[in-house]
Amino acid sequence: MSRPTNLTNTLMLMLLLGTSATLSGALGMLLMASSVVVVYGTCIGPLRSKLSGNSLMLASVLLAATVTSCANILAQRWALQWHQALGVYGGLIALQCVVLEYNGFFRQALAQRLRFFGLASGLLLALAALRELFGQGHLGRGLSEHWQGLVLFSDGLHLLTLVPGAFILLGLLLAARQAWTRSNALSKETHHP
Amino acid sequence: MNRAASVITLALMAGTGLGLTYMVQRVSAPQIASEQRLLDSRKLLDVLALDAYDNQPLEQPLALTDTTLSHSTLLAGYRASKAGLPVAVLLRSQTEGYAGVIELLIAIDANGRLLGVKTLRHNETPALGGLIGDWPNHWLATFTGKSRNAPDDAGWALKKDQGQFDQLAGATITSRATVNAIHDALRYFDEHRATLLGSGS
Repeated sequence: MSRPTNLTNTLMLMLLLGTSATLSGALGMLLMASSVVVVYGTCIGPLRSKLSGNSLMLASVLLAATVTSCANILAQRWALQWHQALGVYGGLIALQCVVLEYNGFFRQALAQRLRFFGLASGLLLALAALRELFGQGHLGRGLSEHWQGLVLFSDGLHLLTLVPGAFILLGLLLAARQAWTRSNALSKETHHP
Repeated sequence: MNRAASVITLALMAGTGLGLTYMVQRVSAPQIASEQRLLDSRKLLDVLALDAYDNQPLEQPLALTDTTLSHSTLLAGYRASKAGLPVAVLLRSQTEGYAGVIELLIAIDANGRLLGVKTLRHNETPALGGLIGDWPNHWLATFTGKSRNAPDDAGWALKKDQGQFDQLAGATITSRATVNAIHDALRYFDEHRATLLGSGS
């Protein structure tokens, strides 16, 4: 895509880093974000044929704000404890919707959209699992009332539970991916001289 | 598409959005408030096991008399019961610590033994007396199971004062105030047992 895309994509980092402290929190945010995006996607469809340019952007902001505030209230209603911990990030989902709209996500083919959704949620869940496991020493706590989660260490690296730690971990993951793809490319080159 | 039509569409959207959000808020508000109450009371009552009681202790505060004790003041009292039988009395006690008031929630079972103590509010020095605010609290757990007469009056003091309890390191005044407040609450329970547990027992 065009270059401004990269800049707008960084707006999604806040949600990713903020809500990935525990697996249960990340799952809750994933559920909320995906339902908001689905509702938003269905509602913006008919509007797109009627509006264009700036007014479409404005409509997108209005719609995203409406859906997100309703979802926020419902989250308070059904999962107040989760909302008290991570609810501040809930409002950012509206921003995600507008960014996705701006990037043309809702005009892509379904398969492409699903692929992007899978990648994004996979990254969120992987980051959350790694942070909970190495930051607090357990995995999946809070998913069920009767289960303490998979306890591996009694104590973890405190830095990882904080947002800067998440940023560092994300950097490490990106570096690992880069190293992986590069070594693959190199080995291919040596196999086919 | 002309300009007027888009302006009308946007205005309609804004109106619908506002209305919808307001409706959802109106419909959900009572349930959110009750969830909030439940969460607050769980936070306050986690000195008791979740299945130890089946009433809403905070909804029916007890009327306390003579609330000024020798080292502390009682602010409120609640009774937890299960199937109509009283299982515990919770006393909210306030005492003077090193750097201001300490507010404790002291849970006493029907036989006068201490079930648990939780700090609700304090201003003590962080990492010294401030450790009293941690939950779950290792030091406060050492009082569990004690009662007014076990240990006896002389034993209800810090080891420094020839009693039998350890203190928080570097926080003698905080520890002394806490021990005295707990002992006060147990004594009060013993003296007002019938009224605190209700006429049923």
